[in-house]
Amino acid sequence: MNVLSKMVEVFKRVFDDDTIHLVEGTTAPDIPGWDSLTHINLIIEIEEEFDLKFTVDDIVGLKNVGEMVEMVERKLASKSDA
Amino acid sequence: MSERVLQEFPRVSMICEVLRNEAPYLVGVINKQREEFGIEWVEEFERDLATFFAGDMSKLCLATQGYIKFALDGMLLQKRFDKTGQYEVKTYDQAAAEVYQNEQYMQSLYLPGIYLSHFLWRHHFIQHVYFLKEFIPRVKAHGGTTYYDVGVGTGFYLREMLRRVPSLKGVGFDLSPSSLSYSRQMVTAFGLQDRCTFNLQDILKNPPKTPASFLTNVEVLEHLEDPLGFLKGLNTMLESGGLAMITAAVTAPNADHIYLYSSVAELVSQVKEAGFTVIDSREDKAYEPKKPKESVPRNAVVIVTK
Repeated sequence: MNVLSKMVEVFKRVFDDDTIHLVEGTTAPDIPGWDSLTHINLIIEIEEEFDLKFTVDDIVGLKNVGEMVEMVERKLASKSDA
Repeated sequence: MSERVLQEFPRVSMICEVLRNEAPYLVGVINKQREEFGIEWVEEFERDLATFFAGDMSKLCLATQGYIKFALDGMLLQKRFDKTGQYEVKTYDQAAAEVYQNEQYMQSLYLPGIYLSHFLWRHHFIQHVYFLKEFIPRVKAHGGTTYYDVGVGTGFYLREMLRRVPSLKGVGFDLSPSSLSYSRQMVTAFGLQDRCTFNLQDILKNPPKTPASFLTNVEVLEHLEDPLGFLKGLNTMLESGGLAMITAAVTAPNADHIYLYSSVAELVSQVKEAGFTVIDSREDKAYEPKKPKESVPRNAVVIVTK
């Protein structure tokens, strides 16, 4: 399962909605209820899903799902290099 | 809030645009505040921004970007706090090195973040309204003319005291040169620079020689290892019969929060032990939690005399 597929499962859990469909350009206004609190819950769930820990610098520039996927892929790559 | 309404408030509109472009999940705060506090909130916010930033929209844009990072940092720490029930263990010296003495962090993130939070965070805005409705009338009725703001931060409350009570002269104390610099900009923007001075001074080691009629001490206590000791020092800076407004962040982790307050009752207990008499107190939360077990940042505030 690639990062985007796993991310879809995280979104389904956080929003409690099995019908959620994500593309790289999906952003907060596209999903009802994606506010600041839900966003930070997503970040924490993504940390747990991928066994990563994010800093504020990791997450500050994230505007859409594509950027979230890129950030996770980058963190996973640096983790496997370590 | 509609685009048409926002056009009447160009600086609030600019904040919306930056949030929408760079942190779209945060932009909802504008409508939430507008719905709870009315169009007056937008009007007051716009007036404040217009005075502080004047026509410098690029500075406002940078401040909003600093706010985004400041808010995200706090939210991330809040989720970590939910798991441990504790703030990250840190000494005052560590927090000072990371935050107060870190010019880049202070100017780009911390100070603009706090300034904008006075309008963008529910509990901070309510605290300001409380200050205007409950503290300022008492200050005016008292008639004293001397005032200390201890831990002046952004200069927001110093400038508000001077603005609302024209007979006052004030002194802002802080340990951070960046705070004093930002506060000078604040009072200058509001034309109040001739009625105040600023001191880079530890009030415990080097207390002012004379007490003042009024004190404000806004969100300083949680930054300290020994807030009770600090409050006892603060007590010596207030004249007998004087008035002070003291606040503390409650269950609100931040990069520089050391002492964990669990409720306004804890603050009330400490200020009493420090020798103050409590006139009034209240506590407000930033938002309603989405789940029952989620912690929520809160503000505790007391108005005291001695």
